[in-house]
Amino acid sequence: MLTMTNISKVYRSEMVQTHALRDFNLQVNEGEFIAVTGPSGSGKTTFLNIAGMLETYTSGTYQLDDVDVGRLSDNGRAELRNQKIGFIFQGFNLIPDLNLYENVEVPLRYRGIKAAERKRRIERCLEQVGLGARAKHLPAQLSGGQQQRVAIARALAGEPRFLLADEPTGNLDSLMARQVMELLENINKDGATIIMVTHDPELARRAERNIQVVDGQICDFKLYQGGLEKQRAGAEA
Amino acid sequence: MSELKPIFNALWRSKTGALLLVVQIAVTLAIVSNAAFIIHDRVTFLNQDTGLKDENLFRFNLYTFGKNVDIGQQQEVDETLLRAIPGVADAVVINQVPLSGSGDSTSFHLKPTPEQSRGARASFFMADEHLLNTLDVKLEDGRNFTAADVVYSEGFEKSASVVLVTRSHLLDLFPEGDGLGKTIYLGDNPFQVIGIIAPMKGPWLDDEQADNVALIPQVMAAPFKRVLVRTEPGRRDEVMQQVEKLLLASESERVVSRITGVDKLVLEQTSQDRLMKNMLLVLITVLLLVTALGICGLALFNVGRRTRQIGTRRALGAKKSDIVRYFLLENTLVSLFGIVLGVGLALAMSDVLMRHYSLPSLDNWFILYSLAGIYLMGLVAVYWPAQRATQISPSIATRSV
Repeated sequence: MLTMTNISKVYRSEMVQTHALRDFNLQVNEGEFIAVTGPSGSGKTTFLNIAGMLETYTSGTYQLDDVDVGRLSDNGRAELRNQKIGFIFQGFNLIPDLNLYENVEVPLRYRGIKAAERKRRIERCLEQVGLGARAKHLPAQLSGGQQQRVAIARALAGEPRFLLADEPTGNLDSLMARQVMELLENINKDGATIIMVTHDPELARRAERNIQVVDGQICDFKLYQGGLEKQRAGAEA
Repeated sequence: MSELKPIFNALWRSKTGALLLVVQIAVTLAIVSNAAFIIHDRVTFLNQDTGLKDENLFRFNLYTFGKNVDIGQQQEVDETLLRAIPGVADAVVINQVPLSGSGDSTSFHLKPTPEQSRGARASFFMADEHLLNTLDVKLEDGRNFTAADVVYSEGFEKSASVVLVTRSHLLDLFPEGDGLGKTIYLGDNPFQVIGIIAPMKGPWLDDEQADNVALIPQVMAAPFKRVLVRTEPGRRDEVMQQVEKLLLASESERVVSRITGVDKLVLEQTSQDRLMKNMLLVLITVLLLVTALGICGLALFNVGRRTRQIGTRRALGAKKSDIVRYFLLENTLVSLFGIVLGVGLALAMSDVLMRHYSLPSLDNWFILYSLAGIYLMGLVAVYWPAQRATQISPSIATRSV
């Protein structure tokens, strides 16, 4: 589903050349829940940005659903991003001047979905994250956890095959973090592939697969117990 | 249209800047539409066809102080001298100079005073049979003066009996258009209308009856005279330089003054109008510039304020064109409110100008042209900030808060 081969990303300034990713190789299969961990500055976010086509890479190849991302124009990447990928950001990134309904509506408008269908999806997704009754509220009127749930609803409304989450619980207390994590696990159970960047080893353990990035490369590749059990349970079913 | 709703909502929730811009656009529209209308009015006034080739005409004053000079005889000598100068097409001693900004007008009536009858005011020019040729105005109907028609007098003790008039003047007196050959009266002096001349202006361009002109074949002998000379095209300056010397050589006990081209007289007469036109043009330009800067400034401010938001929109699938479109639509909304308010203000301002300064009522087309211009200017002003917004990388969405 997602294949990165020898991906490198170099940031160049006048004086310095920084290798954020080097020969990064990764294969992600449909329905996986992957946690990406690593120290600050290791290249996690760069990987997430490239996976989400938020930035381009310097060399290598990246295929998403058999589409060679490197060959796409800026518009092509925006379209593919809109159709296949849902984003959950650490800072929620809700638009403060829009109410919850309008926030969730943003990616749907860019896809050109008709008003009636937009309404159906927005109501369903807000219900799914438990905020159906607050559609007319502004983000500032919600707690951090609620805002992140709106962000998840926004990501889900586009019915993406991929969910990219950048420290989704980074700005939340432990109770809120647990709720958000449970929500992500449920979404994964419903079939979405999730790649989650996190610093929290507790959350990472709950994923099927954990990738550790150090100095722009995958240095460890572990299948955690929780993930194994999940796979076994799936096999037995 | 549904796309406008969230943009409107977003604007409404942080409305101070947008409201100020709405007011600025409204005031700009009100001032620009009225000023443009006044400029158009002035330009039409300044470019009106006078019916005269003023670049070939010049005038001067001749004041004879010599007590032994026979004024009437000297006048004939002077005219003969002037007409003989190489480059002169014709010349006349005349009671007032067309397009000069000063002169006389009088009312002609269908019946002699004190009888009540239809009347119409006209500027009147008195000179000999060379008048029409000196003015270089065509005779449209009837006949011109002849030497036999010309009356020479000391004052108003005698009067000519024929007159040439413009069609505009004749129609004011005879709306049926059958005035040629009829008699009209100046006081109780009868004048037979013997010809209709092509349109020409009297002394004042801003006169309500500037097109009403009468030419009377009468010459009054007086120490102070005005002379009008028409030269061949391109030879006026050369002739103007010779006049004083030539006339004083013929009779030295007199003064030649104010040798001036008629086009210069027109410029003097219209200087206030040109000044007003230019000042209003500067005002409009500055106002539009300030408004454009206001629109551009607010859009730039919004780009700066919404950097993360724009990045997030890009991350969620907005193309660069969607970002440009967002800013253009936002500006359209602000402009729309400004325009609605501005139309009301423009009409109110026109009403005030009409009542207090006797200006004509604002033509609605000027509001339409102005609002279209301001809207387009707004789109141009917002385009650069919108383009800058498209340069914001979607990856900014994942940067730390």
